[in-house]
Amino acid sequence: MIGELLHLQVAAITDLAPGLRHVRLVAADSSRLPPAAAGAHLQLRLEGTTKTFRNAYSLISPPGRRDAYEIIVRRVPASRGGSAFIHEQLNVGDRLEATWPGNLFPPVRIARHHLMIAGGIGITPFLSYLADFAVSRASHALHVCCRESEKDVFAPWLPATGKAAFHWDADGQRLDIPALLAAQPAGTHLYVCGPAAMNEQVIEAAAKAGWPASHVHCEHFGSALSGGEAFRAFLSRSGIEVEVGQDESLLEAIERVGVAAPCLCRGGACGVCATPLLEGEPEHRDHFLSPVERESGRLIMPCVSRAKTGRLVLDL
Amino acid sequence: MMHSDIKSRPTYQVLEPDLAGTGHLLVIEGETVLPGRLDSLAGTFAPVEDKLHTWLVGSHAGAQGLGKVWHLPAIADVVDAFACATRGFGIGDRLYVQGTEPFLWSVATAAGIVGFGAGQVRLHHTGSLRRRVWCTHCHGVTDNVTTNFAACSGCGRHLLVRDHFSRRLGAFMGVMIDAEVPGQVPALEEVFP
Repeated sequence: MIGELLHLQVAAITDLAPGLRHVRLVAADSSRLPPAAAGAHLQLRLEGTTKTFRNAYSLISPPGRRDAYEIIVRRVPASRGGSAFIHEQLNVGDRLEATWPGNLFPPVRIARHHLMIAGGIGITPFLSYLADFAVSRASHALHVCCRESEKDVFAPWLPATGKAAFHWDADGQRLDIPALLAAQPAGTHLYVCGPAAMNEQVIEAAAKAGWPASHVHCEHFGSALSGGEAFRAFLSRSGIEVEVGQDESLLEAIERVGVAAPCLCRGGACGVCATPLLEGEPEHRDHFLSPVERESGRLIMPCVSRAKTGRLVLDL
Repeated sequence: MMHSDIKSRPTYQVLEPDLAGTGHLLVIEGETVLPGRLDSLAGTFAPVEDKLHTWLVGSHAGAQGLGKVWHLPAIADVVDAFACATRGFGIGDRLYVQGTEPFLWSVATAAGIVGFGAGQVRLHHTGSLRRRVWCTHCHGVTDNVTTNFAACSGCGRHLLVRDHFSRRLGAFMGVMIDAEVPGQVPALEEVFP
């Protein structure tokens, strides 16, 4: 299914708040879509004027729904262009290609309690969790840290039972993360999705509170990671030398010259794009390779990682 | 010494406190405690003694330096103690167990029911190699098996004790040894002393 494409059509666009856009996608031929589980994402192929963007978005439609996929996209000021494209150029009726839904962030079924912490638009994977838990009746709590002005935007997707707590940056409204994490019962699984700094803060606080790493799950978002110094890469099997620009990823550069590289999450998490590295010094930015694999310098994840200096030679 | 060629067989660890934990519970099967062992455990767990509880099962040995010590008569009381714990266990708690294999898995299972995950539990095997055997025919459980085959406590069949372990049941698979020719069984040998 990696590599197989879905043909979708934009059925509706709704602006929820400044910079937050809800998009409803249906199959272009009106057929039923492949079902997706809680926490799944969709990778959209967005044909911009100068380049093609492939961005992954969490599905917020209830798990298993086959009539439509729904996503919420925040416009990122320093966007690589994907979110700007969705906010400025996407119209109802447009056709898009997408991969099949993938899932790198599923809830753990054996958990006795699910604790979710979201930062801003990081709430999106949890909207599908909530729909799932409403059916499974799993014990759960959601804490959302966001702008005060956006706390009511997600209300249509939240359960009436009030298991969601909103926090924002004002005295008495901030989330006390260490206190929250210290008070959790055995059997709890923690999920965090937010900006990198918040993810790190939560993961660190969990370790301090004695959480076993196997109970802590994180989904990274934000693709600002993919840019950096320009460098060159040589694809040894294809015999192509490619220039990787400052604001494109190695994977995007490889795709630009027409070499098909396997990929799934495009965020350094899934491991699908791991490519043998023959020469060069990589700057690893992924969350997939182990410290030993990183040190060996023989694999690279081209969706996020780049060259530390000069030139890389890939077995591709 | 336990040894198996089966890769999926659990392996056991030396007990030492996980300093990342915020509470520590040590559960010890009394009959497996050799002279001096409690003192050596007290030394090992000294860094967390103020947060340590010890449940000593089926032994009245005095235990110094092992935090708050409870004496429990039998494994059934450990299972009850987990099920009835009113304060509840936290995600930062750690459980350490010493004993025979059936004891380890009885404790781990009872703890798992109240939420302990694998990352919070350390098991240390010591004492007898005796096995709990699960009958594939009647699903009955036969305890304290030390021989290569044994009569099932449920259906009476002669069960060959296989080296095939279930974490969920805390038991080894037992299959009928004389299904082809009833009564034709090999010599009985003590293989799990």
